[in-house]
Amino acid sequence: MFLSFIFRAVTRDAAKVSLLQHGQSLHTGAQLMAAEKALLMKLRKSTGYTFMNCKKALERFDNDIAQAETWLHEQAQKEGWNKANKLEGRKAKEGLIGLFVGDKAAVMVEVNCETDFVARNEKFQHLVKDVALATLAHHQNKTQSQAGYVKNVLAGDELSKLKVGEGSSLADQVALAIGRLGENMSVKRAVAVGVPAEWHIGSYVHGDVSGQTDVAMGRYGALVVFHGGNEGEQKTLGRKLGQHIVGEAPLSLGNMDDLPCGESETRLLPQTFLGDPSRTVAQFLRGQQARVLDFVRFQCGETTGEEAE
Amino acid sequence: MAALVGLRACFSALQLSSPSLLHSSFKLCTVPLSRRTFAAEAKKTYSRDKPHVNIGTIGHVDHGKTTLTAAITKVLSDAGGAHYKKYEDIDNAPEEKARGITINASHVEYTTANRHYAHTDCPGHADYVKNMITGTAQMDGCILVVAATDGQMPQTREHLLLARQIGVEHVVVFINKADAVEDKEMLDLVEIEIRELLTEFGYDGENTPVVIGSALCALENKEPDLGLNAVMKLLETVDNYIPLPKRELEKPFLLPIEGVYSIPGRGTVVTGTLERGVIKKGDDCEFLGHNRNFKSVVTGVEMFHKSLERAEAGDNLGALVRGLKREDVRRGMVMCKPGSIFPHQKVKAQVYILSKEEGGRHKPFINNFMPVMFSLTWDMACRITLPSEKEMVMPGEDTSLTLTLRQPMVLEKGQRFTLRDGNKTIGTGLVTDILTMTEDDKCNWG
Repeated sequence: MFLSFIFRAVTRDAAKVSLLQHGQSLHTGAQLMAAEKALLMKLRKSTGYTFMNCKKALERFDNDIAQAETWLHEQAQKEGWNKANKLEGRKAKEGLIGLFVGDKAAVMVEVNCETDFVARNEKFQHLVKDVALATLAHHQNKTQSQAGYVKNVLAGDELSKLKVGEGSSLADQVALAIGRLGENMSVKRAVAVGVPAEWHIGSYVHGDVSGQTDVAMGRYGALVVFHGGNEGEQKTLGRKLGQHIVGEAPLSLGNMDDLPCGESETRLLPQTFLGDPSRTVAQFLRGQQARVLDFVRFQCGETTGEEAE
Repeated sequence: MAALVGLRACFSALQLSSPSLLHSSFKLCTVPLSRRTFAAEAKKTYSRDKPHVNIGTIGHVDHGKTTLTAAITKVLSDAGGAHYKKYEDIDNAPEEKARGITINASHVEYTTANRHYAHTDCPGHADYVKNMITGTAQMDGCILVVAATDGQMPQTREHLLLARQIGVEHVVVFINKADAVEDKEMLDLVEIEIRELLTEFGYDGENTPVVIGSALCALENKEPDLGLNAVMKLLETVDNYIPLPKRELEKPFLLPIEGVYSIPGRGTVVTGTLERGVIKKGDDCEFLGHNRNFKSVVTGVEMFHKSLERAEAGDNLGALVRGLKREDVRRGMVMCKPGSIFPHQKVKAQVYILSKEEGGRHKPFINNFMPVMFSLTWDMACRITLPSEKEMVMPGEDTSLTLTLRQPMVLEKGQRFTLRDGNKTIGTGLVTDILTMTEDDKCNWG
C-alpha cells in the first residue's frame, strides 16, 4: 500500500516535471487539473471502469488516453480475479436462466449473482449469453459424431473451463463481470440436449427480461423433448408444455396411463394441464398425437439435488 | 395508516365467511376491541409529537448502505433520537431469516429534531416492489448511496429505475467513503456523474442535494468533517428536501361501512372506522357501492356511546344519518364527502402474489382467472387480465394486471386490496390506474 502510494506520488510528480520541461506555455496547476479532469471524465465514460482505476491509468501513461484504456482492459481481468477471490463465499441466489434453442439442439444455463438489480443489468445478461453460447459450442463439438438423443448436464466447475470464442475461459469472463459489477457471481449449471431429426425441442422462459438478444432469459426455464404433434404447430405445443412444466414443477415424467393422484401430483403426465384444467397432460398429448420423452426445469436460485445431499 | 388498511383487509377477509346476522354482533365487538389495543400499544411505544416519514436506502451492495444506517443511528443516539444499532444488528434480522419468510427488509427507526423516520433497507428490486404493494414500507423518499471510490456502478441505473417504479419522487445522494479518496477533485467528478444520471432518469439532477462524507468515519469517531458532521448534514438535508406526506386528516372523509343498526326512536346508525378525513355533525354525505347511490346529512357522531363533535381518521365511530332506512345501506358500501370518490368496475393494479411459504398457492395462474377481491369492507368477484407480454404469473412474483369486477365498487388510485381464491389468500395489490369499461369486458359471469 505504502509502496504503491510512493509510486503514484512519484509518477505524478514525474508527469508534472516532464510537462514543465517541455513547457511550451505557462501551465498553471489549475489548468492542468482541469485538463486531467476532462480526460478522466472521458475515460470513465468510454470504459466504465472505476474513477480510481481511470485516474491511476492516466497518471501512469501521462494522460495518454489510448494507452490508458488498453492498460485498463488488461488490469480489469486481474482486478476481476482479485475481486472474485474477495467476494467468494458471499451468497449468490439471484440471477438468470438463459435458454437458447438452435437447430435440433438447445442449451439452458443458470448464472447467479447477489441482487436482482444486477440480474436486470445488460452487462450481466451479456455474460449469461456468453455462457449459453459457449455451452452450445462445447456440446456440438463433443457430439458431432453421435446421432440420436444426447443430453449433457454440466456442473459449475466443468463449465468454468469452457472457452469463449478464442482464448479466455468462462471463468475469466465471470471474473471480468465480477470486477465490473462488484458482486459475487457464479455459473451454476447447464444442460445441453441434441435430438434426432424427427424429434422436437420445446422451450419456455418465464419472466423474460432480455428482449434484444437471441438468448431468452428469465427466472424460470424449461426444455421439453417430444415427438409428434401437428405439423407446423410444434412450436406452440412445445411452448405450452414448457409453460406447464415451469408452472406445475413436475419432478418425473410418469406414464401415459398413470392415474392422477390429487393436487400434489409430481409426475408430469398425470398432472392437470395448466392451459386446460379439464384434461391431464397425457390426455392433452393424445389429442395432439404427441409424446413427451424428456424434460428439464431450472428455477433460479433453487438448491439442486447434489447440494442438498 | 397503511398498517391500518392492511389490518382491515385482513379482518374483512376473516369475517367474510360469516355472513349470518347471528355473527354480526360478534363482528362488532372483535373489530373495535382489537383495533383499540392496537392504538394503545402504539401510544406506549412512541409519542406522536413529530411527523412521521418513511425513508429508505438504495445502492450497490458494497457501497455502505448498512454502514450508513448504523452511522445514522449512532450519531442520533448521542442526541437521544435513536438506539444505536450495530452493523451486524441491521444486516441480519435473525428471526426473520430463520423463518425464511416475511419481507426481507430491515427496519430501523430514529428521530431528528423535526421528524420521526422509519428506515428501510432491502436487498433486491423484488423486495422493494413487494414492500410498496403490501404497504409495509412505502417510501416517501430515499437516500442513494454511492461510494466515492467506485462512482456509480452499472446497476445504479437499475436502482434509479426502481425508485421511479415505486413512485419515489425525492432522492438525496450520499457519496460515501470520501475518506478513501485522497483527491478532492475525484469527489466532484463522482458528483457530476451522478447528477447526470439522475437527470437522465427524470429527477431534478441539478438541484438534488448531494452530501459527501464517510459513514465509517462517523462510526469510528474519526475526521468529524467527513464523519459526524456529514451524517448530520445528510439528516438535515433529508429533513428539508423530502416533503411530508399528505396527512389523512386533510383529505375528504371516507367511512367504509362495517355495520348498520337501527335505533328505535332515533334512526339508523352506520358504523365503521374512519379511513381518512374528519366528520362533523351536520356534514353532507353520500352513500356509494353495491350499485346504490344517494345523499344525506350526518346528524350525529358517536364513539363508545358518547356523542362527539368531530371524529378523525382512525376513529371507530357510529354516524346517525338523516332519513336513512336500515335496508338502504349494507356492509361494503362507503359513506363519503359527496363527489370525492366514485365506484369503478375496471382497474389496473400492481400485485404481489404470495409464495407457497407465505401461505399462498403453489400453482401459477393464467389469463381470465377469477378470484375474489377484498378491499375496505367489501368483497367482489373479479376477473384477471394479464398484460400482453405475460402468459402466466408464478407464486412469489409481482406483476401488473387488469382487474374487472362483477359490479362497480368504490375504488380509487392508491387503494390496497387482497385477492383470495377459495380458502387461500393469493396476493395483495395496489390500484395504479382506473380504466373505463368496454363492451368486451361485459362478460358472462356464469
